[in-house]
Amino acid sequence: MALSGIQIYKLLPQTNCKECGFPTCLAFAMKLAAKQVELSACPYVSEESKALLEESSAPPIRLISLKSDGYEVKAGNEVVMYRHEKTFYNKPGLFVKIKTSSPEADVKTLAQRIQEYRVNYVGIDLEVDGIALEDDTNEGEKMKNAVKAVRSVCKKPLMLFATSAANLEPALTELNGESPLIGCATADSWEKFAELAKQYKASLAVMADNLDTLAELSEKIKGKGVEDIVLVPHGKNLGHELILQTQIRRLALKSNYRPLGYPTLAFCQTHAQMAQAIAKYAGFLVIDTFAEELAYPLLVLRQNIYTDPQKPIQVQPGLYEINNPQPTDPVLVTTNFSITYFSVANEVEGSGLPAYLLVADAEGMSVLTAWAAGKFDAERIAKAVKAVNLDAKVTRKRLVLPGAVAVLSGEVESELPGWEIRVGPREAVDIPKFYKQVLQAN
Amino acid sequence: MPVEVPKEKWPGSVRTITLGALPSEGGTRKRVVTVGGETAMPFMHFEGEIPNPPVVAIEIKDRKPDDWSPLLLETWKDVIDDPAQWAAAAEAAGADLIVLALSLTNRNGEPTSPDEAVASVKAVLRATGLPLIVFGPGQAEADNALLVAVSEATKGERLALGICEDKNYRTIVATAMANDHLVTARTPMDVNLAKQLNILISDMGLPLDRILMDPTTGALGYGIEYGFSVMERLRLAALQGDKMTQLPMIVTPGFEAWKAKESKVGEGVPASWGDWLNRAINWETLTALTLVESGADIVVLRHPESVKRVKAAIEELMAAKSLVS
Amino acid sequence: MAVYRVTFNHQTEPVVVKSGTLITEAARLAGIEINQPCGGQGRCGRCVVQVTDGKVRQRSALRLSAEDIQMGYCLACQSVIEGDISVVVPEQEKIERRLVTDRTAIEVQPIPGYAPEYQQTLKRYFLEFSPPDYEDQTDDLSRLQKHLRTDLGFEEVEIPISLLKKISSVLREGNWQVTVYLDVLSTNDGNPTARMVDLLPNRCDEDSPMWGAAIDIGTTTVTLWLVDLWTGIVHAQVAEYNAQIRRGEDVISRIIYADKEGGLQELQELVVGTINQLIEIACKRVKHHRVSPQDILKLTVAGNTTMMHLFLGIPPSYIRLAPFVPTFNQAPLIRAKDVGLIANPHAVVDCLPGVASYVGADITAGVLSAGVDSTDQLTLFLDVGTNGEMVLGSKEWLVTCACSAGPAFEGAGVRDGMRATTGAIEEVWIHSETYEPTYRVIGGGKPRGICGSGLISLLAEMFMTGVVDKAGNLNTSLSTPRIREGEHGMEYVVAWKDETEHGRDIVITRVDIDNLLRAKAAIYAGFLVLAQSVGVPLEETEQVLIGGSFGKYLNVEKSIQIGLLPDLPWEKFNFLGNTAVKGAYFALLSQEYRTRIHEIASKMTYIELSADNTFYEAFMAAMFLPHTDLSRFPTVLAALQDSNIQFQTN
Repeated sequence: MALSGIQIYKLLPQTNCKECGFPTCLAFAMKLAAKQVELSACPYVSEESKALLEESSAPPIRLISLKSDGYEVKAGNEVVMYRHEKTFYNKPGLFVKIKTSSPEADVKTLAQRIQEYRVNYVGIDLEVDGIALEDDTNEGEKMKNAVKAVRSVCKKPLMLFATSAANLEPALTELNGESPLIGCATADSWEKFAELAKQYKASLAVMADNLDTLAELSEKIKGKGVEDIVLVPHGKNLGHELILQTQIRRLALKSNYRPLGYPTLAFCQTHAQMAQAIAKYAGFLVIDTFAEELAYPLLVLRQNIYTDPQKPIQVQPGLYEINNPQPTDPVLVTTNFSITYFSVANEVEGSGLPAYLLVADAEGMSVLTAWAAGKFDAERIAKAVKAVNLDAKVTRKRLVLPGAVAVLSGEVESELPGWEIRVGPREAVDIPKFYKQVLQAN
Repeated sequence: MPVEVPKEKWPGSVRTITLGALPSEGGTRKRVVTVGGETAMPFMHFEGEIPNPPVVAIEIKDRKPDDWSPLLLETWKDVIDDPAQWAAAAEAAGADLIVLALSLTNRNGEPTSPDEAVASVKAVLRATGLPLIVFGPGQAEADNALLVAVSEATKGERLALGICEDKNYRTIVATAMANDHLVTARTPMDVNLAKQLNILISDMGLPLDRILMDPTTGALGYGIEYGFSVMERLRLAALQGDKMTQLPMIVTPGFEAWKAKESKVGEGVPASWGDWLNRAINWETLTALTLVESGADIVVLRHPESVKRVKAAIEELMAAKSLVS
Repeated sequence: MAVYRVTFNHQTEPVVVKSGTLITEAARLAGIEINQPCGGQGRCGRCVVQVTDGKVRQRSALRLSAEDIQMGYCLACQSVIEGDISVVVPEQEKIERRLVTDRTAIEVQPIPGYAPEYQQTLKRYFLEFSPPDYEDQTDDLSRLQKHLRTDLGFEEVEIPISLLKKISSVLREGNWQVTVYLDVLSTNDGNPTARMVDLLPNRCDEDSPMWGAAIDIGTTTVTLWLVDLWTGIVHAQVAEYNAQIRRGEDVISRIIYADKEGGLQELQELVVGTINQLIEIACKRVKHHRVSPQDILKLTVAGNTTMMHLFLGIPPSYIRLAPFVPTFNQAPLIRAKDVGLIANPHAVVDCLPGVASYVGADITAGVLSAGVDSTDQLTLFLDVGTNGEMVLGSKEWLVTCACSAGPAFEGAGVRDGMRATTGAIEEVWIHSETYEPTYRVIGGGKPRGICGSGLISLLAEMFMTGVVDKAGNLNTSLSTPRIREGEHGMEYVVAWKDETEHGRDIVITRVDIDNLLRAKAAIYAGFLVLAQSVGVPLEETEQVLIGGSFGKYLNVEKSIQIGLLPDLPWEKFNFLGNTAVKGAYFALLSQEYRTRIHEIASKMTYIELSADNTFYEAFMAAMFLPHTDLSRFPTVLAALQDSNIQFQTN
């Protein structure tokens, strides 16, 4: 069970020696509770406390890592049921399924597309994580050839699935030095799979349609010396899968139930399965088909759900067009704190008056806070103007500053020669009036 | 070895709200839609009741919209100039209910008059037997003028009138109260703001079971994670017994997703974005499905293909009940 | 570059300035005072001047009406001179005083059982030596040191060079009898360290007091207590507005002003000037003794971190920049002359330690004097001034945070807000059926504005009578002419123009209400975040101690009604007045307390509110009357149900 800051504090020396890098023992305890620091930073903690604290901080969901030359995909180590409680840590690995019955040329083409697929979202390059090969012909050699074909063009981590473990062995010899995932072990086949996983240091996927079997299998496999286990709860329909995934996460976190303390994998055919797997607890998802128009939104969804909710709520900095502005319409500046943005945008939108809304990156702070913290100054505003190439978008260069930072007008004037700098009202609610009385009047 | 699954027993539940009134109830609807009533987190049939499935609404306009994606204009091209036909087409496409969003101006560019708004609403009511939600144009003065007229002209239909916001809710709430309608209350992605608006509206005397809350969600790529978590938190608060959050949630993924560049723009975008139409529909579908997972009771969509996919998913999510109970 | 002539107040001699100069800058050249409460940021609108001839370019015309602008009024700090002009500067508002200590100088009890011989670090000794002669050629310093060692047992005494300069003459003037003042700190190893503070000829009167001063440098008010160090008796309590106010009302404005050329030095001189003025007044106030500033030998100083930086002339720039780290939390010991104080030049000035950029020595001193660090009870300590700082804890642990409540409770940022001086409405009652207000004015005359306590009272009354809803929206459906559409949206008229001193309506606007909501929400959110940070329910607080001058006027009932203070039984609230100066006073008297204050500073855990979302969440929840989670305010809920307010429209 996780301990609170005060509970941890009581186990610490309480000398405020500062050697851990924090000003007080309580501050350190709070960081420990938030899992943002290691206990080892405290040189004076007693052995007894150490044992207690380490027990409470053992990850309830095992961290699994699939590796290939230059790539790694991690799952596990999650600590919450709902992302707002803390955050979700390891984005579920997105794997594309290729059947071994496909012609080699097709395998190569697809593998290459997957290797090369890259899409930029808010400045971040997003990629598909790997390929899941499925033995649909029951031939070990085909699997081996498929692995070779893939490896000739794609270096990303692999998952190898077959009904019979024996069909995977030839392929695994091709993957020296990698940590792939193999599977799926079932109640009938688990022993062979476990031996193979142990021999080739692979992670092992275990599949069952109920938790009792899953738990039993994972215990048996662990008994064989394989600890890198991935659970595949094979639900009978979308709703059943949701319940199984939720129950596994809950048992691991709330009951510290070790047999199900592993990340999960979801095979997805429908959009609903994909969205659900990302939102609700899958550690990996395997999709049946690859298409850019699907990979892009899935990668974005994953990126979104796995952002840290503790960060201030921000909107994307950039230029927002409200009510179809023309090049002669004014540019209003504000910060990227969501509430600030919304209150300004709503006022302008509601007024029906056309304007550009330039949202500067103020690290998610409101206008006054950002200004006080030096995150919303003339330089940043000028940078924002240049970043969206405003000079080319408007013919009448009028920039309206929030009234709360009237003080910046002089500096902005010198940063942006040729721009007419106006000081708007302090409150968003006064914007329509200001617009009509001041901006439209001259 | 049987696994002992811990079950959450919640003290609270979501209110059950019915939209639309049958002729026997003073309305003209052929069917009504009931949402809410959950006593567990979304689709957790093994530990509580999910008595009513989430429903799908299709958003239509009173005239051809100026700012919709060309893909949508193409999809609805045969009916887009006539709200009555559009409503019928939406019903045929599988909608459980209709959202009619009034425009600020009419076809001639003049401000939409209360009479025109009433005419559109009445035409839609005649064309479909489904319950109806009416949104104003989103500008306080126009909203108040049009919605009051619509509300009075449709007394007893149990429409949902929107959108109430913290800066403009009194008039809409008052007319809904007087004419036996419901309201939708929108707040910008914040648990506290959502709750505050519900309190303000109920302080005016409108019973809580006539309020739908719209927490605003953002689209995929445009803040959906905030909407997602706000919805989960609102639902958790409701189940924990917080009365002011125990309202069904209405969300507008169609509106959100179709204003994204990914849906609106087909040319001059990166090749890695893939096919435009499929991407746009995926954008709407994935936005909507994610919100269904976080507790949406009414999802308002725009494209028929999304409607199909979301309805199929809801059916499967509800079907799990028989497997675990 | 072009130069222009600026004539002020029809004077004959214009000043000549470069194109692009601000009117405020020109005024300074002309030697004309223009108050800039916001530090010249164009935010407060108080530096209005009238341009009677010529034109200026106005960067901002905030708070000016169209009519004002028509008549040539402009903000001096925002008006750029681009031609010859004539300017009329209105008579600047005089800062009227209604300081706590002026009104109610409380009798201060010395520390119970105060034993100066053990606790007081400033010691007075009498030494008598044999003079040098041709045999004994020991130099004067060594001779003095020898006696310090043999007679008093001090192995080593730090003697500043400035004192060295006068040793020889003092020894001879007193005919080898001297009185020496040492500041002696006992240490763990038993070898005390000693600093010489003064050396005077002859044996002094054994009963004459040794003088010290405890000082709290507030952003708004500086307070000084003049103390007899040996008896612990406070002989004078004086307070004065911090002269820095003219250069900015809040710390952020001051920090920005300090970054301007010459700004830091100016601010340093202003605050030292205020302290010196207080020293002089305090000396004159002392009865039965003749005290001169030179007699003050030891001073302890409390104050927020920014004030401490400015007092010592240290640039405070990084206090306002993320991650908000100050130059120092604990300043080294200095002597009075180092900063220009008119006390004895060698007097030890002990700047008390702070915790963080926004939790300074005023808070550690407050915690000390309020005894938060020694109580078993879970205590919430709160100091509402220009900033809102708070501490939660007991003798086991202490957590603290600071929230930028803004100056709304000091009457700033509110249209008709003012400080708590003569003419301020300090309490309001609203009739629940007619919505007609009655109010009480400080000084009993006609009102000029509303001070912080008046604003809290007004907001609470408006809320409890349904004039505003829980979000602070004015209820336009009530039939009263007092709710009307004003220049900044809806407003409520508190006093009609024929009742007021200046002949204008006194109103509270929707924007004012938002400012007040933000201020109260920030403070309450601070409480909640502190409680959450340690996992303690806020309701379990056993006592709430409120320091700061503002606390004196706070009405607990009204404050709870608007959700500023937690809904706890009234008897749990205690108002302590200026806890900072009291803490400085304790540290002045007793080394034990001085050590304790350092312990407080080192054990207090600072929670940075901008580090994550927790504060923001709590803040949004508190942006409601009294709170989004009504169950946190059961007594308010009950009162609302009793009054059965109708929010319905008619």
